[in-house]
Amino acid sequence: MTLWQALFMGLLQGATELFPVSSLGHAVLIPSLLHWKFKTSDPSFVPFLVLLHLGTAGALLVIYRTEWVAIIRGFFTAAFRGSIKTDSERLAMLLLVGTIPAGILGVFLEHSLKALFANPKAAAAFLTINGFLLLGAEVLRRRTERRAALEGRPRVEQEEQFAEAEHISFRAAATVGAIQALALLPGISRSGMTIAGGLLAGLRHQEAARFSFLLATPIITAAGLIEVPLLFDPKVPLGEYFAGAVLAFGAAYLSARFLLRYFRSGRLDPYGWYCAAAGLACLALLTFLP
Amino acid sequence: MKGNSFAAGLVVLAVVFLVVAALYAFGVLQILVTDSHASHHYTHAVLFVVLAAASLVAANFAREKRV
Repeated sequence: MTLWQALFMGLLQGATELFPVSSLGHAVLIPSLLHWKFKTSDPSFVPFLVLLHLGTAGALLVIYRTEWVAIIRGFFTAAFRGSIKTDSERLAMLLLVGTIPAGILGVFLEHSLKALFANPKAAAAFLTINGFLLLGAEVLRRRTERRAALEGRPRVEQEEQFAEAEHISFRAAATVGAIQALALLPGISRSGMTIAGGLLAGLRHQEAARFSFLLATPIITAAGLIEVPLLFDPKVPLGEYFAGAVLAFGAAYLSARFLLRYFRSGRLDPYGWYCAAAGLACLALLTFLP
Repeated sequence: MKGNSFAAGLVVLAVVFLVVAALYAFGVLQILVTDSHASHHYTHAVLFVVLAAASLVAANFAREKRV
């Protein structure tokens, strides 16, 4: 992998990890469409992915640094007391409940699913499905808004009728966490599925995005840290990989800031249409072009 | 009383998870792993340690509290 390719992949990973458009899908599709020689499924690519993930997780930790301090403190206080009294304590326990199903499914299914589906055509097909799932979530959300007679009101006012992340039920948190595991399929977006799940659980768009980003941080950080020893292999071009990780950090930071602002009144529709169109276009290109 | 039995069950579950974590860490358990020839499975071990911790937290929530 050249330095430019490493930088490009860093930028791509950082941006697409948090946008609901599937980072893994793009990481499989784009090198294949550009006829790049390296394969993202290759074991030698793992240390690079580790650094990119740590870059993305770092950006999320910086954005939510104050909140994470409160969450960690809340977790230990509630765990030792055996009851929940504050919003931070409740959020900490919701994140624990949401992380467990994703962790179990990730550890046991990740490699077999990646081996089965880590080819560009499967990624394109799943990217299309991801698009329709995002659009479907918005259809259901609009139905809820119609039932609550919120049609025609300003978007910000509509959103205010829905809940904040701290008030989601534990069952809903576990379901949203389990839905994350769908993102093991290249083309299905982790943030897309968790935001869509959050919407179905009755969260505001911005809160669904916040819950999704908070839920992502422990898993991405843990997955990265566990693989850190791989970085000490002398064959690993640390300089190029580290440059890619710095770009991933910057791209993830800007993406998260943009998305949190966008979801004050924005919907998942543009990302849904993008995924459906890009998936179908890639499928056509991969099928009909040599 | 019912809450305390449930809490005890969760503590037992936590112990089971810790044993499984140790078995994965020392490479004794080779079920559902990517590389069955590897001598350690730290990812699996970490997962089961987290599950054990979560079970203990749940047990503390489930036990009957003195007023």
